Amino acid sequence: MKEIFDSIHYFCDEFSEDGNFVTIKTKQLKSLSLYLFRDLDCDLSSVVALRAKDGFNIKYLYSYPKKDYFFIVCQNIQDEFESFADDIPALNWFEREISDLFGIIPLNHPDFRALPLHPENYPIGFHPMQNDKIKDENYGTYEYKDVKSEGVYTVPVGPIHAGVIEPGHFRFAMSGEPILQLEIRHFWKHRGIEKLCEGKEVDEVLNISQKISGDNALSHALSFAMAIEKICDIKVPSFAQYCRVIAAELERISCNLSDFAGVFQDAGYSFGASGITALKEDIMRLMKLLSGNRFFKDFVIIGGVSKNIKPYTKEIIDIIKQVNITFDKYKKIMENSSSILERLETTGKIKKQTVKDLSCVGFTASASGRFSDFRKTHPYLIYSKLDFETLVLSDGDVSARVRVKLNDIKNSFKIIKICTNYISQVDKPKLKVKYEIKDGEEFGYAQSNRGNIVHFVKIEDKKVVRFKPRDPSFMNWQSIQFAVLGDVIGDFPLVNKSLNLSYAGNDL
Amino acid sequence: MIDLVKMRFRDKLLSEKLEFRDENIEVLGLELKKRVDKIFKRSFSIREVDTGSCNACEIEINALANPYYNLERFGISFVPSPKFADALMITGALSKNMYKALMNAYELTPNPKFIIAVGDCAMDGGDFKDSYACMGGIGDKLPVDLWIKGCPPEPIDLISGLLKLLSKR
Repeated sequence: MKEIFDSIHYFCDEFSEDGNFVTIKTKQLKSLSLYLFRDLDCDLSSVVALRAKDGFNIKYLYSYPKKDYFFIVCQNIQDEFESFADDIPALNWFEREISDLFGIIPLNHPDFRALPLHPENYPIGFHPMQNDKIKDENYGTYEYKDVKSEGVYTVPVGPIHAGVIEPGHFRFAMSGEPILQLEIRHFWKHRGIEKLCEGKEVDEVLNISQKISGDNALSHALSFAMAIEKICDIKVPSFAQYCRVIAAELERISCNLSDFAGVFQDAGYSFGASGITALKEDIMRLMKLLSGNRFFKDFVIIGGVSKNIKPYTKEIIDIIKQVNITFDKYKKIMENSSSILERLETTGKIKKQTVKDLSCVGFTASASGRFSDFRKTHPYLIYSKLDFETLVLSDGDVSARVRVKLNDIKNSFKIIKICTNYISQVDKPKLKVKYEIKDGEEFGYAQSNRGNIVHFVKIEDKKVVRFKPRDPSFMNWQSIQFAVLGDVIGDFPLVNKSLNLSYAGNDL
Repeated sequence: MIDLVKMRFRDKLLSEKLEFRDENIEVLGLELKKRVDKIFKRSFSIREVDTGSCNACEIEINALANPYYNLERFGISFVPSPKFADALMITGALSKNMYKALMNAYELTPNPKFIIAVGDCAMDGGDFKDSYACMGGIGDKLPVDLWIKGCPPEPIDLISGLLKLLSKR
């Protein structure tokens, strides 16, 4: 790391190290960003804008995959800043989001259209995170990038879809059977969470953080809680840490099983789908038994966990064992059925370069040959003590993503086994510690089934003044535009399901 | 294929399916079936519209299709278009961006129609009441026939809720 720090010193004006976070202030922002993104092969993890005394402060968070380090690059700006979206495509949506919410303008942005605030529904001069009055009260329109040519037709889908799923708009440009271009338009479910959380108590924000994306309720609560625990120097008891890991892995199993069922369903194999949804129900009932809620809501609290799961160790072991046996059978069916595999293989290919450019996370990246798992690269809780192997495949198609997920389920079974062994041996379980809220700002992160969740929290006078959650779906959504190219429209549901992206987490 | 059939018999997957059924659900479900038989001639179709939920409600609604609950055996199904739905099931705090789409779906649903609000946010916005981006639920915008509370409501609540709706008239 010393060599890397020396090179960074070359660019920077101010440099400070705090644990595994390195904060850098520099005037040569572009060269430094490119050095981190290209040469060091860092992933862009989050971009946070903050109101400062005069103007704004923007923090770019890069995660270094080879060692447990994060780089925070800061810049102070007035009301415009230079856009790097051309060189770092992962910044594209972040800059557009900041521009909508704060009213600061990214100069030379390649695609400067409104993102979360649809111009049909919000006045052009409306910027919720800026406390000024609305300057321009007119409404605008959204220009789609349709392909116009002879024989090319457009298939618009959504925002309300055919199934029981969330709303989003997809526009396919078709030339005969194959898809020429897919344009996605999201943020129909934009609920203004960032603004809503300003000035709220920590516990209120913890509650809202569980509603960012319902299926990852626990992972979101975990990353928020860990950010607060870092700010307030809270040491979570090791029993509570093991409980948290068991809960996180159960949530991961539940979500991954639901994906597995979805792939069966969309490949036209409902026998498998209904069997797997039954397994998912088993896990959700176990979650209800452990925490009183089928989504582990209110299980993670600041400083520990709210329920003792030690009395239920036997149930956990029994149910996991049972689910594991049945799961193996369905896995075998999938692996041995040529008609299912034929649907999955070579469908929805994402290239490694695309994954790198967009800083995709989770199984989307791992299935395209770029390893991404914070449990291994930036271990939190007790994950550094656990022994499990994560899969990296280079195919990048639906089949690869499914295989990474199935391997993940197996890992979760293994981790739960180790953790239940530990907690059954603890004599006096300590669930939580007392704490006092302090002022400060920190990033908290956790790995959900989709990829890493990163939360930025800033506390002043014991109130949350800035909360910026970043759901893994926000990083991964754009990859679907590349995945479907050349496929037929009938494969789209399968590709969509294999990526399993949250609309709610993306839209905030 | 023959292996699959063999496996079905050997592992008794089908008979397990009967064990899946929760006593509580069965009773509620049978009564529900009577109502649906009587009023809608054994078929009741629902169109689900998400107006800004956290997707937990959707997961629970989808769970109604798993072998434990298997809602379709009672004649209740979720349909892909509002044009042939008897009821709209609405989740979420009604974001500004979804308002127009929801109203279109409402217009397109033929009369007579039921409106079912699902989840704590659906009626008045819940936790998202004060947000600039939410319009405070559908309570004062559409004639709601039934509100199934919970964050999210469990599948059993959803089934009991549907029963209540159908027994009202």
